Amino acid sequence: MPSGTVRQELTDEERRDSFTRDALPYLDQLYSAALRYTRNPADAEDLVQEAFAKAYSAFHQFRPGTNLRAWLYRILANTYINTYRKQQRRPDEVSADAYRDGLSDGAGDFSLYDRIAAATQAPAEVEALRRLPDEEVKQALADLPEQFRMAVYLADVEGFTYAEIADIMGTPIGTVMSRLHRGRAALQRALYDYATQRGLLSAAGGPAESHEENPRERRTDA
Amino acid sequence: MPDDCHEVLRELEVYLDGECPDDLEALVARHLRACSPCTDRAEFERGLRAVIAAKCTDCAPAGLLERVKAQLRVLS
Ligand SMILES: [Zn+2]
Repeated sequence: MPSGTVRQELTDEERRDSFTRDALPYLDQLYSAALRYTRNPADAEDLVQEAFAKAYSAFHQFRPGTNLRAWLYRILANTYINTYRKQQRRPDEVSADAYRDGLSDGAGDFSLYDRIAAATQAPAEVEALRRLPDEEVKQALADLPEQFRMAVYLADVEGFTYAEIADIMGTPIGTVMSRLHRGRAALQRALYDYATQRGLLSAAGGPAESHEENPRERRTDA
Repeated sequence: MPDDCHEVLRELEVYLDGECPDDLEALVARHLRACSPCTDRAEFERGLRAVIAAKCTDCAPAGLLERVKAQLRVLS
């Protein structure tokens, strides 16, 4: 049997069995990724269904032994871009994209480690961040412009390599690295704000902020 | 901050991503074994990624798997 034609030789039933066995176990992961793209559960479900339908129809093009997981993510990404992104874009995202890359210059400079270390006069511990509610971390990620959000998600949550992310997003590796660097910094800035609002950072042993003085009272004194 | 640290921190993100070329990776690893400030920072960044990964995953809602399977039967 000549190589590269294996899939076409399958009967419909064999193809369905093979797809069910190899591709469907990625359902949870793809749903999780879809939720990062669409940021709402109903659209995420639709996106996953549509992506699996496309993947199934194109399954004869998938070369066995290559990276099925990355292949599925690429289909998910393309399905999102072609079907959902246009109708879903909110005004804030459009204006965010008005920056050439979606995050303002200097966005890559923020270091959560340095901020916490400066505030607590000690090496920063990640423990305080672990106490953030899941929903706030998800929201911090969701608030990043899409291309930064997905680069960070694909690297830090899904563990894809630069080359795989480049393939999934259809961009050069250098672009992936830049989005990751700036996206991570922006995410750290947002996490710093959430953690500060919850008082998690001053409780970590640093100089406690004074809650006794009310700034409004001070202003009336002036 | 010693020059080494500066060099190493510039590579740290790519190092933690496991994407350094072999020679550079060995260099960073050797520095981290000897330098506790850089190790503190590396551990923090690694730990933070683990926190994000743990908090940003979701399971597909009940019934989605069945809906996808039903769709495959129609498409066959
Ligand atoms: Zn060092």
